[in-house]
Amino acid sequence: MGQMATWLHERIPVSGGQLAELTNEPVPNHLKKWWFCLGGTPAYLFVVQIVTGILLALYYQPTPAAAFESVRYITEQASFGWFIRSLHKWAATLMIAAMILHQMRVYFTAAYQRPRELNWIIGMCLLMATLLTGFTGYSLVFEQLSYWGATVAANISDAAPVVGGFAKRMLLGGEQYNERTLSRLYILHAAVLPGTIVLLVICHIAQVRMHGVTEFPDPDEPVDQPRHFDFFPDHMLTELMIGLALMIVLCALATIVPATMGPKADPLTTPEIIKPEWYFYVSFRWLKLFSLSFAVISSGFIVCAMFLWPWIDSLLRRITGVQDISVYIGILATCLLVGLTVWEAAVAH
Amino acid sequence: MSVGVVGGYGTLGYMLGNFVYPSGESNRGWMFVCTLDTLAPGASLDFTAPDGAKIVVARQESGETAESFLALSSVCPHLGCQVHWESQDQRFFCPCHNGAFDRQGNPLSGPPKAANQSLIRFPLKVEQGLLYVEVPLESVVPRDANHRESGVA
Repeated sequence: MGQMATWLHERIPVSGGQLAELTNEPVPNHLKKWWFCLGGTPAYLFVVQIVTGILLALYYQPTPAAAFESVRYITEQASFGWFIRSLHKWAATLMIAAMILHQMRVYFTAAYQRPRELNWIIGMCLLMATLLTGFTGYSLVFEQLSYWGATVAANISDAAPVVGGFAKRMLLGGEQYNERTLSRLYILHAAVLPGTIVLLVICHIAQVRMHGVTEFPDPDEPVDQPRHFDFFPDHMLTELMIGLALMIVLCALATIVPATMGPKADPLTTPEIIKPEWYFYVSFRWLKLFSLSFAVISSGFIVCAMFLWPWIDSLLRRITGVQDISVYIGILATCLLVGLTVWEAAVAH
Repeated sequence: MSVGVVGGYGTLGYMLGNFVYPSGESNRGWMFVCTLDTLAPGASLDFTAPDGAKIVVARQESGETAESFLALSSVCPHLGCQVHWESQDQRFFCPCHNGAFDRQGNPLSGPPKAANQSLIRFPLKVEQGLLYVEVPLESVVPRDANHRESGVA
Protein backbone atom coordinates (compact mmCIF):
# COMPACT_ATOMS: atom_id res chain seq x y z
CA MET A 1 0.00 0.00 0.00
CA GLY A 2 2.85 2.32 0.93
CA GLN A 3 4.64 1.51 -2.33
CA MET A 4 1.45 2.13 -4.27
CA ALA A 5 1.00 5.52 -2.56
CA THR A 6 4.60 6.45 -3.32
CA TRP A 7 4.19 5.40 -6.98
CA LEU A 8 1.03 7.44 -7.27
CA HIS A 9 2.47 10.50 -5.50
CA GLU A 10 5.49 10.43 -7.81
CA ARG A 11 3.17 10.70 -10.82
CA ILE A 12 0.57 13.00 -9.24
CA PRO A 13 2.63 15.21 -6.94
CA VAL A 14 -0.24 16.68 -4.93
CA SER A 15 -0.14 16.35 -1.15
CA GLY A 16 -3.15 15.71 1.07
CA GLY A 17 -2.85 19.27 2.36
CA GLN A 18 -2.89 20.73 -1.13
CA LEU A 19 -5.89 18.58 -2.04
CA ALA A 20 -7.73 19.77 1.07
CA GLU A 21 -6.95 23.38 0.16
CA LEU A 22 -8.19 22.85 -3.39
CA THR A 23 -11.51 21.37 -2.29
CA ASN A 24 -12.13 23.23 0.96
CA GLU A 25 -13.44 26.50 -0.35
CA PRO A 26 -14.81 28.38 2.68
CA VAL A 27 -18.56 28.42 2.23
CA PRO A 28 -20.70 31.17 3.86
CA ASN A 29 -23.25 29.99 6.42
CA HIS A 30 -26.23 31.02 4.31
CA LEU A 31 -25.48 28.08 2.02
CA LYS A 32 -26.76 25.77 4.76
CA LYS A 33 -30.21 26.78 3.45
CA TRP A 34 -31.07 24.55 0.50
CA TRP A 35 -32.54 27.28 -1.72
CA PHE A 36 -29.10 28.85 -1.90
CA CYS A 37 -27.77 25.53 -3.27
CA LEU A 38 -29.76 25.62 -6.52
CA GLY A 39 -26.57 26.24 -8.51
CA GLY A 40 -25.42 22.65 -7.96
CA THR A 41 -28.81 21.20 -8.96
CA PRO A 42 -28.54 21.87 -12.73
CA ALA A 43 -24.99 20.50 -12.67
CA TYR A 44 -26.22 17.28 -11.07
CA LEU A 45 -29.07 17.03 -13.58
CA PHE A 46 -26.62 17.69 -16.42
CA VAL A 47 -24.67 14.59 -15.37
CA VAL A 48 -27.95 12.62 -15.45
CA GLN A 49 -28.53 14.00 -18.97
CA ILE A 50 -25.07 12.95 -20.15
CA VAL A 51 -25.47 9.39 -18.82
CA THR A 52 -29.03 8.87 -20.09
CA GLY A 53 -28.20 10.68 -23.35
CA ILE A 54 -25.30 8.32 -24.10
CA LEU A 55 -27.62 5.36 -23.48
CA LEU A 56 -30.33 6.78 -25.77
CA ALA A 57 -27.74 7.47 -28.49
CA LEU A 58 -27.09 3.72 -28.68
CA TYR A 59 -30.45 3.31 -30.43
CA TYR A 60 -31.41 6.72 -31.82
CA GLN A 61 -31.10 7.25 -35.61
CA PRO A 62 -31.16 10.90 -36.77
CA THR A 63 -32.86 10.58 -40.16
CA PRO A 64 -36.45 11.49 -41.08
CA ALA A 65 -37.09 7.92 -42.20
CA ALA A 66 -35.82 6.26 -39.01
CA ALA A 67 -35.92 8.82 -36.16
CA PHE A 68 -39.50 8.30 -35.05
CA GLU A 69 -39.28 4.51 -35.26
CA SER A 70 -36.00 4.47 -33.31
CA VAL A 71 -37.60 6.54 -30.52
CA ARG A 72 -40.56 4.17 -30.59
CA TYR A 73 -38.15 1.24 -30.29
CA ILE A 74 -36.48 2.87 -27.27
CA THR A 75 -39.85 3.60 -25.67
CA GLU A 76 -41.67 0.38 -26.39
CA GLN A 77 -39.15 -2.40 -26.99
CA ALA A 78 -35.70 -1.74 -25.51
CA SER A 79 -35.35 -3.00 -21.92
CA PHE A 80 -36.08 -0.09 -19.57
CA GLY A 81 -35.94 2.18 -22.62
CA TRP A 82 -39.12 3.94 -21.51
CA PHE A 83 -37.49 4.63 -18.14
CA ILE A 84 -34.20 5.96 -19.55
CA ARG A 85 -36.05 8.20 -22.02
CA SER A 86 -38.41 9.43 -19.30
CA LEU A 87 -35.47 10.20 -17.00
CA HIS A 88 -33.85 12.15 -19.86
CA LYS A 89 -37.02 14.11 -20.52
CA TRP A 90 -37.79 14.92 -16.88
CA ALA A 91 -34.17 15.74 -16.03
CA ALA A 92 -34.22 18.26 -18.91
CA THR A 93 -37.40 19.83 -17.56
CA LEU A 94 -36.05 20.00 -13.99
CA MET A 95 -32.66 21.25 -15.19
CA ILE A 96 -34.24 24.21 -16.96
CA ALA A 97 -36.53 24.90 -13.99
CA ALA A 98 -33.54 24.74 -11.59
CA MET A 99 -31.50 27.07 -13.81
CA ILE A 100 -34.32 29.60 -13.94
CA LEU A 101 -34.72 29.44 -10.14
CA HIS A 102 -30.94 29.75 -9.65
CA GLN A 103 -30.83 32.74 -11.96
CA MET A 104 -33.75 34.34 -10.11
CA ARG A 105 -31.96 33.78 -6.79
CA VAL A 106 -28.82 35.42 -8.17
CA TYR A 107 -30.88 38.28 -9.61
CA PHE A 108 -32.99 39.05 -6.54
CA THR A 109 -29.97 38.90 -4.21
CA ALA A 110 -27.99 41.14 -6.63
CA ALA A 111 -25.16 38.59 -6.63
CA TYR A 112 -24.30 39.73 -10.17
CA GLN A 113 -22.92 43.05 -9.01
CA ARG A 114 -19.27 44.04 -9.26
CA PRO A 115 -16.94 42.11 -9.44
CA ARG A 116 -19.15 39.18 -10.54
CA GLU A 117 -20.51 40.65 -13.79
CA LEU A 118 -18.60 38.15 -15.94
CA ASN A 119 -20.04 35.21 -14.02
CA TRP A 120 -23.55 36.57 -14.63
CA ILE A 121 -22.79 36.63 -18.37
CA ILE A 122 -21.43 33.08 -18.21
CA GLY A 123 -24.62 32.08 -16.36
CA MET A 124 -26.74 33.71 -19.08
CA CYS A 125 -24.76 31.81 -21.74
CA LEU A 126 -25.40 28.62 -19.77
CA LEU A 127 -29.13 29.37 -19.69
CA MET A 128 -29.23 30.01 -23.45
CA ALA A 129 -27.19 26.87 -24.21
CA THR A 130 -29.49 24.81 -21.97
CA LEU A 131 -32.64 26.18 -23.62
CA LEU A 132 -31.16 25.40 -27.05
CA THR A 133 -30.27 21.90 -25.89
CA GLY A 134 -33.85 21.45 -24.70
CA PHE A 135 -35.20 22.69 -28.04
CA THR A 136 -32.92 20.51 -30.18
CA GLY A 137 -33.65 17.45 -28.02
CA TYR A 138 -37.39 18.03 -28.33
CA SER A 139 -37.00 18.26 -32.12
CA LEU A 140 -35.20 14.92 -32.40
CA VAL A 141 -38.28 12.81 -31.61
CA PHE A 142 -39.72 13.70 -35.04
CA GLU A 143 -43.26 13.84 -33.69
CA GLN A 144 -45.80 16.25 -35.12
CA LEU A 145 -45.19 18.83 -32.39
CA SER A 146 -41.41 18.53 -32.53
CA TYR A 147 -41.34 18.80 -36.34
CA TRP A 148 -43.53 21.88 -36.38
CA GLY A 149 -41.69 23.30 -33.38
CA ALA A 150 -38.42 23.12 -35.34
CA THR A 151 -40.07 24.65 -38.41
CA VAL A 152 -41.52 27.54 -36.43
CA ALA A 153 -38.24 28.15 -34.55
CA ALA A 154 -36.23 28.22 -37.78
CA ASN A 155 -38.64 30.75 -39.27
CA ILE A 156 -38.46 32.85 -36.10
CA SER A 157 -34.68 33.01 -36.45
CA ASP A 158 -35.17 33.93 -40.12
CA ALA A 159 -36.97 37.09 -38.99
CA ALA A 160 -33.97 38.31 -36.99
CA PRO A 161 -32.23 41.28 -38.64
CA VAL A 162 -28.92 40.75 -40.51
CA VAL A 163 -28.06 37.21 -39.32
CA GLY A 164 -31.57 35.70 -39.46
CA GLY A 165 -31.32 33.99 -42.86
CA PHE A 166 -27.84 32.68 -42.09
CA ALA A 167 -29.01 31.27 -38.73
CA LYS A 168 -31.99 29.57 -40.34
CA ARG A 169 -29.88 27.90 -43.04
CA MET A 170 -27.30 26.80 -40.49
CA LEU A 171 -30.00 25.31 -38.26
CA LEU A 172 -31.94 23.52 -40.99
CA GLY A 173 -29.07 22.77 -43.37
CA GLY A 174 -31.04 24.39 -46.20
CA GLU A 175 -33.91 26.75 -46.96
CA GLN A 176 -36.41 24.52 -45.23
CA TYR A 177 -36.67 21.37 -43.14
CA ASN A 178 -34.97 18.65 -45.19
CA GLU A 179 -33.31 15.25 -44.90
CA ARG A 180 -30.13 16.76 -43.41
CA THR A 181 -31.91 18.78 -40.72
CA LEU A 182 -32.22 16.04 -38.08
CA SER A 183 -28.52 15.15 -38.21
CA ARG A 184 -27.67 18.82 -37.61
CA LEU A 185 -30.03 19.06 -34.67
CA TYR A 186 -28.60 15.80 -33.31
CA ILE A 187 -24.96 16.96 -33.53
CA LEU A 188 -25.94 20.22 -31.85
CA HIS A 189 -27.85 18.39 -29.13
CA ALA A 190 -25.42 15.57 -28.44
CA ALA A 191 -22.00 17.15 -29.05
CA VAL A 192 -21.75 20.90 -29.69
CA LEU A 193 -24.10 22.19 -26.98
CA PRO A 194 -23.09 19.73 -24.20
CA GLY A 195 -19.42 20.51 -24.95
CA THR A 196 -20.21 24.23 -24.74
CA ILE A 197 -22.06 23.70 -21.45
CA VAL A 198 -19.10 21.79 -19.97
CA LEU A 199 -16.71 24.63 -20.90
CA LEU A 200 -19.08 27.25 -19.52
CA VAL A 201 -19.57 25.31 -16.26
CA ILE A 202 -15.77 25.15 -15.84
CA CYS A 203 -15.56 28.94 -16.36
CA HIS A 204 -18.55 29.46 -14.01
CA ILE A 205 -16.98 27.44 -11.20
CA ALA A 206 -13.56 29.02 -11.80
CA GLN A 207 -15.16 32.46 -11.37
CA VAL A 208 -16.87 31.35 -8.15
CA ARG A 209 -13.49 30.10 -6.85
CA MET A 210 -11.75 33.34 -7.85
CA HIS A 211 -14.27 35.66 -6.19
CA GLY A 212 -15.66 33.30 -3.55
CA VAL A 213 -19.35 32.74 -2.90
CA THR A 214 -21.33 35.97 -2.45
CA GLU A 215 -21.72 36.80 1.26
CA PHE A 216 -25.19 37.30 2.75
CA PRO A 217 -24.51 37.71 6.47
CA ASP A 218 -27.45 36.93 8.74
CA PRO A 219 -27.95 39.92 11.11
CA ASP A 220 -29.24 37.53 13.80
CA GLU A 221 -26.09 35.39 13.65
CA PRO A 222 -23.93 35.53 16.82
CA VAL A 223 -20.74 37.49 16.10
CA ASP A 224 -18.53 35.04 17.99
CA GLN A 225 -19.58 32.11 15.72
CA PRO A 226 -17.56 31.26 12.56
CA ARG A 227 -19.18 32.78 9.45
CA HIS A 228 -18.00 30.02 7.12
CA PHE A 229 -17.91 26.26 6.97
CA ASP A 230 -15.93 23.78 4.86
CA PHE A 231 -16.99 22.80 1.35
CA PHE A 232 -15.75 19.27 1.95
CA PRO A 233 -17.37 17.34 3.52
CA ASP A 234 -20.08 19.63 4.98
CA HIS A 235 -21.41 21.38 1.87
CA MET A 236 -20.68 18.33 -0.29
CA LEU A 237 -23.00 16.37 2.00
CA THR A 238 -25.79 18.93 1.43
CA GLU A 239 -25.28 18.65 -2.35
CA LEU A 240 -25.35 14.84 -2.15
CA MET A 241 -28.59 14.95 -0.17
CA ILE A 242 -30.13 17.28 -2.77
CA GLY A 243 -28.88 14.91 -5.49
CA LEU A 244 -30.48 11.95 -3.74
CA ALA A 245 -33.78 13.80 -3.35
CA LEU A 246 -33.62 14.79 -7.04
CA MET A 247 -33.03 11.19 -8.09
CA ILE A 248 -36.07 10.08 -6.08
CA VAL A 249 -38.20 12.83 -7.65
CA LEU A 250 -36.87 11.99 -11.14
CA CYS A 251 -37.56 8.26 -10.76
CA ALA A 252 -41.05 8.99 -9.44
CA LEU A 253 -41.84 11.37 -12.32
CA ALA A 254 -40.38 8.98 -14.92
CA THR A 255 -42.52 6.16 -13.55
CA ILE A 256 -45.75 8.04 -12.90
CA VAL A 257 -45.66 10.33 -15.97
CA PRO A 258 -43.45 8.52 -18.51
CA ALA A 259 -42.49 9.99 -21.88
CA THR A 260 -44.99 8.91 -24.53
CA MET A 261 -45.15 8.87 -28.33
CA GLY A 262 -47.22 11.42 -30.21
CA PRO A 263 -48.20 11.15 -33.88
CA LYS A 264 -45.31 10.93 -36.37
CA ALA A 265 -44.24 14.16 -38.08
CA ASP A 266 -46.39 15.01 -41.10
CA PRO A 267 -45.12 17.92 -43.22
CA LEU A 268 -48.59 18.11 -44.80
CA THR A 269 -50.57 18.85 -41.66
CA THR A 270 -49.95 21.22 -38.80
CA PRO A 271 -51.76 19.90 -35.69
CA GLU A 272 -54.88 21.83 -34.73
CA ILE A 273 -53.39 22.58 -31.31
CA ILE A 274 -49.66 23.25 -31.39
CA LYS A 275 -47.58 24.01 -28.29
CA PRO A 276 -43.84 24.07 -27.60
CA GLU A 277 -42.30 22.85 -24.34
CA TRP A 278 -43.47 24.85 -21.30
CA TYR A 279 -40.30 26.96 -21.11
CA PHE A 280 -41.07 28.46 -24.53
CA TYR A 281 -44.72 29.29 -23.72
CA VAL A 282 -43.72 32.89 -23.05
CA SER A 283 -42.14 33.33 -26.49
CA PHE A 284 -45.03 31.51 -28.15
CA ARG A 285 -47.62 33.81 -26.54
CA TRP A 286 -45.44 36.84 -27.32
CA LEU A 287 -45.48 35.84 -31.01
CA LYS A 288 -49.27 35.67 -30.94
CA LEU A 289 -49.57 39.10 -29.38
CA PHE A 290 -47.31 41.04 -31.71
CA SER A 291 -46.14 41.06 -35.32
CA LEU A 292 -43.21 38.75 -36.09
CA SER A 293 -40.66 41.52 -36.57
CA PHE A 294 -41.62 43.28 -33.36
CA ALA A 295 -41.77 40.01 -31.38
CA VAL A 296 -38.33 38.88 -32.58
CA ILE A 297 -36.61 42.26 -32.18
CA SER A 298 -38.18 42.91 -28.75
CA SER A 299 -37.20 39.38 -27.59
CA GLY A 300 -33.63 39.99 -28.76
CA PHE A 301 -33.63 43.32 -26.94
CA ILE A 302 -34.87 41.70 -23.70
CA VAL A 303 -32.21 38.95 -23.89
CA CYS A 304 -29.50 41.59 -24.52
CA ALA A 305 -30.75 43.57 -21.53
CA MET A 306 -30.57 40.41 -19.39
CA PHE A 307 -26.97 39.85 -20.46
CA LEU A 308 -26.04 43.45 -19.64
CA TRP A 309 -28.11 43.69 -16.45
CA PRO A 310 -25.18 44.19 -14.02
CA TRP A 311 -24.35 47.45 -15.85
CA ILE A 312 -27.98 48.44 -16.45
CA ASP A 313 -28.68 47.91 -12.74
CA SER A 314 -25.75 50.09 -11.80
CA LEU A 315 -26.91 52.82 -14.18
CA LEU A 316 -30.52 52.69 -12.98
CA ARG A 317 -29.47 52.90 -9.32
CA ARG A 318 -27.28 55.90 -10.08
CA ILE A 319 -30.00 57.71 -12.06
CA THR A 320 -32.97 56.97 -9.79
CA GLY A 321 -31.21 56.70 -6.45
CA VAL A 322 -33.42 53.66 -5.68
CA GLN A 323 -31.12 50.86 -4.52
CA ASP A 324 -33.75 48.12 -4.95
CA ILE A 325 -34.96 49.18 -8.38
CA SER A 326 -33.86 45.86 -9.94
CA VAL A 327 -35.95 43.99 -7.38
CA TYR A 328 -39.09 45.89 -8.42
CA ILE A 329 -38.31 45.34 -12.13
CA GLY A 330 -37.64 41.67 -11.38
CA ILE A 331 -40.99 41.25 -9.61
CA LEU A 332 -42.74 42.87 -12.58
CA ALA A 333 -40.84 40.69 -15.09
CA THR A 334 -41.56 37.53 -13.09
CA CYS A 335 -45.29 38.37 -12.98
CA LEU A 336 -45.21 38.93 -16.76
CA LEU A 337 -43.35 35.65 -17.38
CA VAL A 338 -45.69 33.65 -15.16
CA GLY A 339 -48.75 35.42 -16.56
CA LEU A 340 -47.86 34.76 -20.21
CA THR A 341 -46.89 31.15 -19.43
CA VAL A 342 -50.18 30.46 -17.62
CA TRP A 343 -52.14 32.22 -20.37
CA GLU A 344 -50.53 30.07 -23.08
CA ALA A 345 -51.03 26.92 -21.01
CA ALA A 346 -54.68 27.68 -20.35
CA VAL A 347 -55.90 28.25 -23.93
CA ALA A 348 -55.86 26.13 -27.07
CA HIS A 349 -55.02 28.99 -29.43
CA MET B 1 5.59 32.90 -38.61
CA SER B 2 2.44 34.63 -37.35
CA VAL B 3 1.41 35.26 -40.99
CA GLY B 4 1.81 31.53 -41.68
CA VAL B 5 -0.21 30.54 -38.61
CA VAL B 6 -3.01 33.03 -39.34
CA GLY B 7 -3.00 32.15 -43.05
CA GLY B 8 -2.98 28.41 -42.45
CA TYR B 9 -5.61 28.33 -39.74
CA GLY B 10 -7.61 31.03 -41.54
CA THR B 11 -7.76 28.92 -44.70
CA LEU B 12 -8.74 25.88 -42.65
CA GLY B 13 -11.43 27.92 -40.86
CA TYR B 14 -12.77 29.19 -44.20
CA MET B 15 -12.97 25.64 -45.55
CA LEU B 16 -14.67 24.32 -42.39
CA GLY B 17 -17.13 27.23 -42.37
CA ASN B 18 -18.07 26.56 -45.99
CA PHE B 19 -18.49 22.87 -45.24
CA VAL B 20 -20.90 23.57 -42.35
CA TYR B 21 -22.92 26.19 -44.25
CA PRO B 22 -25.39 24.39 -46.55
CA SER B 23 -24.46 24.77 -50.19
CA GLY B 24 -26.70 25.22 -53.21
CA GLU B 25 -30.14 26.68 -53.68
CA SER B 26 -33.28 24.71 -52.98
CA ASN B 27 -34.16 22.35 -55.80
CA ARG B 28 -37.26 23.62 -57.64
CA GLY B 29 -38.94 22.41 -60.79
CA TRP B 30 -42.11 22.57 -62.92
CA MET B 31 -44.76 19.95 -62.25
CA PHE B 32 -47.87 19.12 -64.19
CA VAL B 33 -51.12 20.08 -62.43
CA CYS B 34 -53.99 19.40 -64.83
CA THR B 35 -55.31 20.06 -68.30
CA LEU B 36 -57.07 23.42 -68.68
CA ASP B 37 -60.44 21.91 -69.54
CA THR B 38 -60.61 19.92 -66.27
CA LEU B 39 -60.60 23.08 -64.15
CA ALA B 40 -63.67 25.23 -64.79
CA PRO B 41 -63.68 28.95 -63.94
CA GLY B 42 -64.40 29.35 -60.19
CA ALA B 43 -63.29 25.79 -59.39
CA SER B 44 -60.15 24.75 -57.54
CA LEU B 45 -58.13 21.66 -56.64
CA ASP B 46 -55.53 20.64 -54.06
CA PHE B 47 -52.05 19.83 -55.32
CA THR B 48 -49.31 18.36 -53.10
CA ALA B 49 -45.71 19.29 -53.85
CA PRO B 50 -42.96 16.72 -53.21
CA ASP B 51 -41.78 18.65 -50.13
CA GLY B 52 -45.21 18.15 -48.57
CA ALA B 53 -46.56 21.63 -49.21
CA LYS B 54 -50.22 21.66 -50.15
CA ILE B 55 -51.09 24.06 -52.94
CA VAL B 56 -54.56 25.26 -53.80
CA VAL B 57 -54.81 25.80 -57.56
CA ALA B 58 -57.85 27.88 -58.57
CA ARG B 59 -59.12 29.12 -61.92
CA GLN B 60 -60.25 32.72 -61.54
CA GLU B 61 -61.46 33.39 -65.09
CA SER B 62 -62.00 31.61 -68.38
CA GLY B 63 -58.79 32.80 -70.07
CA GLU B 64 -56.22 30.21 -71.11
CA THR B 65 -53.08 31.91 -69.86
CA ALA B 66 -51.32 31.45 -66.54
CA GLU B 67 -52.76 34.79 -65.33
CA SER B 68 -56.22 33.19 -65.21
CA PHE B 69 -55.05 30.78 -62.51
CA LEU B 70 -53.90 31.12 -58.93
CA ALA B 71 -51.65 28.69 -57.00
CA LEU B 72 -51.73 29.44 -53.29
CA SER B 73 -49.27 27.90 -50.88
CA SER B 74 -50.71 26.38 -47.72
CA VAL B 75 -47.60 27.44 -45.82
CA CYS B 76 -48.37 30.34 -43.50
CA PRO B 77 -46.06 33.28 -44.32
CA HIS B 78 -45.81 34.07 -40.59
CA LEU B 79 -43.76 31.09 -39.33
CA GLY B 80 -44.19 28.32 -41.87
CA CYS B 81 -47.01 26.24 -40.38
CA GLN B 82 -49.62 24.61 -42.65
CA VAL B 83 -52.91 26.46 -42.98
CA HIS B 84 -56.13 24.53 -43.53
CA TRP B 85 -59.43 25.53 -45.10
CA GLU B 86 -62.31 26.13 -42.69
CA SER B 87 -65.47 25.94 -44.78
CA GLN B 88 -67.74 27.19 -41.96
CA ASP B 89 -65.79 30.46 -41.75
CA GLN B 90 -64.74 30.54 -45.42
CA ARG B 91 -61.10 31.10 -44.52
CA PHE B 92 -57.70 29.48 -44.38
CA PHE B 93 -56.66 29.16 -40.72
CA CYS B 94 -53.19 28.70 -39.22
CA PRO B 95 -53.31 26.92 -35.84
CA CYS B 96 -49.81 28.06 -34.76
CA HIS B 97 -50.51 31.73 -34.08
CA ASN B 98 -54.14 32.15 -35.16
CA GLY B 99 -53.48 33.67 -38.60
CA ALA B 100 -56.43 33.70 -41.04
CA PHE B 101 -56.64 34.32 -44.82
CA ASP B 102 -59.47 34.67 -47.32
CA ARG B 103 -59.85 32.40 -50.36
CA GLN B 104 -57.53 34.67 -52.36
CA GLY B 105 -54.83 34.26 -49.71
CA ASN B 106 -55.18 37.80 -48.36
CA PRO B 107 -54.68 38.18 -44.58
CA LEU B 108 -57.81 38.55 -42.46
CA SER B 109 -56.53 38.45 -38.89
CA GLY B 110 -53.68 37.46 -36.55
CA PRO B 111 -49.97 38.21 -37.02
CA PRO B 112 -50.16 37.93 -40.87
CA LYS B 113 -52.78 40.71 -40.90
CA ALA B 114 -50.59 42.86 -38.63
CA ALA B 115 -47.63 42.36 -40.97
CA ASN B 116 -49.80 42.39 -44.14
CA GLN B 117 -48.51 38.96 -45.23
CA SER B 118 -50.53 37.07 -47.84
CA LEU B 119 -50.27 33.37 -48.63
CA ILE B 120 -47.39 32.81 -51.05
CA ARG B 121 -48.35 32.35 -54.72
CA PHE B 122 -46.47 29.76 -56.74
CA PRO B 123 -45.45 30.54 -60.35
CA LEU B 124 -47.71 28.94 -62.99
CA LYS B 125 -47.34 28.39 -66.72
CA VAL B 126 -49.54 27.01 -69.47
CA GLU B 127 -48.11 24.96 -72.32
CA GLN B 128 -50.21 23.30 -75.01
CA GLY B 129 -53.34 23.28 -72.85
CA LEU B 130 -51.53 21.91 -69.80
CA LEU B 131 -51.12 23.78 -66.50
CA TYR B 132 -47.79 23.57 -64.66
CA VAL B 133 -46.68 24.90 -61.24
CA GLU B 134 -43.12 25.53 -60.08
CA VAL B 135 -42.57 23.92 -56.68
CA PRO B 136 -39.73 22.69 -54.39
CA LEU B 137 -38.79 19.14 -55.37
CA GLU B 138 -36.98 18.14 -52.18
CA SER B 139 -38.94 16.04 -49.71
CA VAL B 140 -38.46 15.16 -46.03
CA VAL B 141 -40.98 12.37 -46.16
CA PRO B 142 -41.30 10.79 -49.62
CA ARG B 143 -44.78 11.15 -50.99
CA ASP B 144 -46.67 10.67 -54.20
CA ALA B 145 -45.89 13.91 -56.00
CA ASN B 146 -49.02 13.72 -58.11
CA HIS B 147 -51.34 13.32 -55.16
CA ARG B 148 -54.48 15.33 -55.89
CA GLU B 149 -57.92 15.69 -54.40
CA SER B 150 -61.09 17.46 -55.38
CA GLY B 151 -61.23 21.17 -54.68
CA VAL B 152 -61.94 22.55 -51.22
CA ALA B 153 -61.54 26.27 -51.67
